[in-house]
Amino acid sequence: MADLVCRGLRDGVLEGEYAPALLIKDTLQISLGVHVFNHFLLSLSSNISSGKAQSRGLVVVAFACPPCFYVDLLRSRGIGVASLSNWIVDCYSDPLGWKDKLLNSGFSAQLSSKSHDKSSVGDVECLFRDVGDAEKLSSLVFDLGRGLVGPGKGRFSVAIDSASELLRHTSLLSVSSLINNLRSHDQVASLFWLLHSDLHEPRAILSLEYLSSMVAGLEPIASPSTDAQRNHHNHLFQLEQNSRRGKLHMRLKRRNGRVKILFEEFDVEQGGIKFVPVSLGNAIRNDAILPKVQFNLQLTDKERGDRAKVILPFEHQGNGEDIKIYDGRGPIADAPKNIFPTPRLDESASATITTSSNGGKGEIHYFRDSDEEALDTDEDPDDDLDI
Amino acid sequence: MVMEDSEAPHHLLLLRNFMSQGVLHRQPLLYASPAHSPRAFLGTLPAPIPPRTHLHTPSQQQEEDLRIAWQYKKYFGNEQMFVESHRGNHWDFCNEFDLRKSLDRQLLGAAHIDCVNLQDVEDLASLRDRCSAFLAPFARTEEGITCVGRVAIQSFCSPQCRYSNSDWDMLFFIKSLRSMLRSSNAVAMITFTPSVVSSSSVCMRWQHLADTLLSLRTIPDDDKEMAKLLTDYQDMFGLLHIHKVGRLNSQVPVILEATTYSLKVIRRKTLVLERLNQAPVDASGGGSLGGCSGSSSARLLDF
Repeated sequence: MADLVCRGLRDGVLEGEYAPALLIKDTLQISLGVHVFNHFLLSLSSNISSGKAQSRGLVVVAFACPPCFYVDLLRSRGIGVASLSNWIVDCYSDPLGWKDKLLNSGFSAQLSSKSHDKSSVGDVECLFRDVGDAEKLSSLVFDLGRGLVGPGKGRFSVAIDSASELLRHTSLLSVSSLINNLRSHDQVASLFWLLHSDLHEPRAILSLEYLSSMVAGLEPIASPSTDAQRNHHNHLFQLEQNSRRGKLHMRLKRRNGRVKILFEEFDVEQGGIKFVPVSLGNAIRNDAILPKVQFNLQLTDKERGDRAKVILPFEHQGNGEDIKIYDGRGPIADAPKNIFPTPRLDESASATITTSSNGGKGEIHYFRDSDEEALDTDEDPDDDLDI
Repeated sequence: MVMEDSEAPHHLLLLRNFMSQGVLHRQPLLYASPAHSPRAFLGTLPAPIPPRTHLHTPSQQQEEDLRIAWQYKKYFGNEQMFVESHRGNHWDFCNEFDLRKSLDRQLLGAAHIDCVNLQDVEDLASLRDRCSAFLAPFARTEEGITCVGRVAIQSFCSPQCRYSNSDWDMLFFIKSLRSMLRSSNAVAMITFTPSVVSSSSVCMRWQHLADTLLSLRTIPDDDKEMAKLLTDYQDMFGLLHIHKVGRLNSQVPVILEATTYSLKVIRRKTLVLERLNQAPVDASGGGSLGGCSGSSSARLLDF
C-alpha cells in the first residue's frame, strides 16, 4: 500500500544499514508519476514537520518543476516551510550554466533582470549550474542537509524530482554512484526519486531498481487492446481513463530477504490522489520460480475422454446396456451376441465349435480350455503356490 | 559463480559461509566488494558450530565423580579432555555456522585477509594484478597441496563501479582469473547480478565461464498461493537453483537428485538448504502429501 511506503520513508534507516530508497517509475501511457511523487513528498514533509519522522529535514533536488512550485505546494497544505531555508536545489532554472555564461559574455541586458529576480527568491533555494557533475551535486546536497539538521546525529531525507533529467545530463555510472553514496551516507534517512522508464534503456532501469529498496511502478488499468478495428474508441476511452486513474504496482524488499508485492489503484482528483487497495487475484505467476511438480492430480480433457473409453473388466459397464461378460477374447464392438460361450458346465469341451461370424478373413481364434474344465471342489487353485 | 537476485541479499549468506570457512581453515582470503569499507563485512562472518564431540566433555566430568570403582576411566577421561582442548585451536573441516554469533576477533586478526574496494578500482588490469599477486604463493608444485587460497568477489558488476560499462573487460578479467585458478591451489566465489549486465549474450558468456553455477531467487512475502504450494513457506526466504556443478578432472557428470533448494535459517542459527517439498498441483486435496521429492530432512550439499 502507499501507506506502507510512506511509513517506510518516515521510519528511515536503522544503524549500520543503507537508507531506504524509493523509485517511482511511470511511462508514457500513464504519466501520472508526478502526482504520486508529490503525494509522497507531502506525506514525508508533514511527518517531518510534525516530528514523527526520523529525518529532521528534506532536501529536494528540482529538475522538472521550478522551486516555487514546491514552496507553493507545501504552503497550500499548511506544512510550515517558512522556518526552513535552503532546502531546494534548483536544477531547473539553469542546469548547464548557460545563462550564466551568456551573462558573462555580455549578451543579456534583458536576461540580467530575470536573474536578479531569482536570486531574491533565493533563501529557500540554491541554484546549481553544473548538473553534469554528479559529485558536486552530491556534496551540495550533503552540505544543505547538514545545514538543515545541524551538526551531530541528525538525519535528513532527499527527494530527486526527476532522475530522468539527471540521466540525460550524466552517465548511468555517475547516477548510480550518487544514489549509492546518498544511501550509504550516515546522515541520510531516506530518499526517493521519479523516473520515466520509457526514456531509458532497460539496463538503466534495472540498475536503478537494483539500487533501490522499494519500487513503485505505475501501470494503466486496462491493458491496450491490439485489435485494430475496435482500437479507436477503446483508445480514446483509455486515454481518458489513464489521465486520471491507474494502478500502482509496488515491490518492497523486506529485511528477511523476501519481496512484498502490492497492488493498488489510484485516482487523481482535485484535492490530491486517492489510493484504493486491490486484491491480487491471480496476478502473480509463481510458475516461473518453482520447478514443475512431477505429477498432476488433474485430468486433462483428452485424458478424461480416454478414461471414458476404457473397457471395464466388470460385469456391467455402468451405462445401462445388457451384461456382457468380457473375458479377453476379442473386441466387444465387433461381435454379435452369441459369440461368447457362457461358461456352462454341462457343455461338452469341444473346442471345435467355432461360432465366428467374420467369414473369409484369416484370423486366429483362441479358446481357452480352462473355462470348460470342471473345478474340483476340494482343489484349491492356490495349492501350487510355494509360500 | 552465483547469480544474485537483484531484490534480495541472500548471496551475502553464501559468501559469509565461504569466507568463514576459509578463515577457520587458515586459508588466506582475498575479498573484494563494492561497499565503502569491505572490512566491515568481516565483522559479520558467522562463528562455526562446534562439532558434537565437544559437547560430551562436561558430561564426562560429571560421570567421573560417580564412578569411583573404575579408576582407570578417570585417567582415560582426562587424557581425552587434554586431547580435545588441544584441538580447540584447530578446526576440522567445518561446514556449519552459527549466524547469531560472529567469528572470534583473534581468528580474524590472525588470518591473512586482503580487502579490495571495487569502487576504487580504476580499471580491471590493476585488479587482475592484485589477484595474481595474491595467488602466486599457491602455485601448483610437485610437492602437493600445502595451502589453499580463497578469493571472494561480491557483486562484481555493480552499477556504481567504474568498470561496469565495459562488459568485455569484465569477461576478460573472469577468464584470466579462471586461468590463474587452474594453475594454482585456490578457489574463487564470484557473485553478480544478471539483470544489471548490459546484454543477454554477455550474461550467457558469463554463465558459461563458471565451473559451478548457482542462482538465487527471492520469493514473494505473504503469498497465499505459494503457501499452498510449498509446505515450509513460512520458514524459507529464498530459493537456490543449481545450474551446473564443476567437474574438472572427470568425464562423469554430476546428476543431482534435485536442482532447486529452499534457503532456510533454522532457529535463526544455521543456514540450511532443503529440497523443496511441493504439494501436488491440486492443492484443494488438503496440503502436501509428502511431495514428489521425498524426504524433507536437511542435507548438506557436497560438491
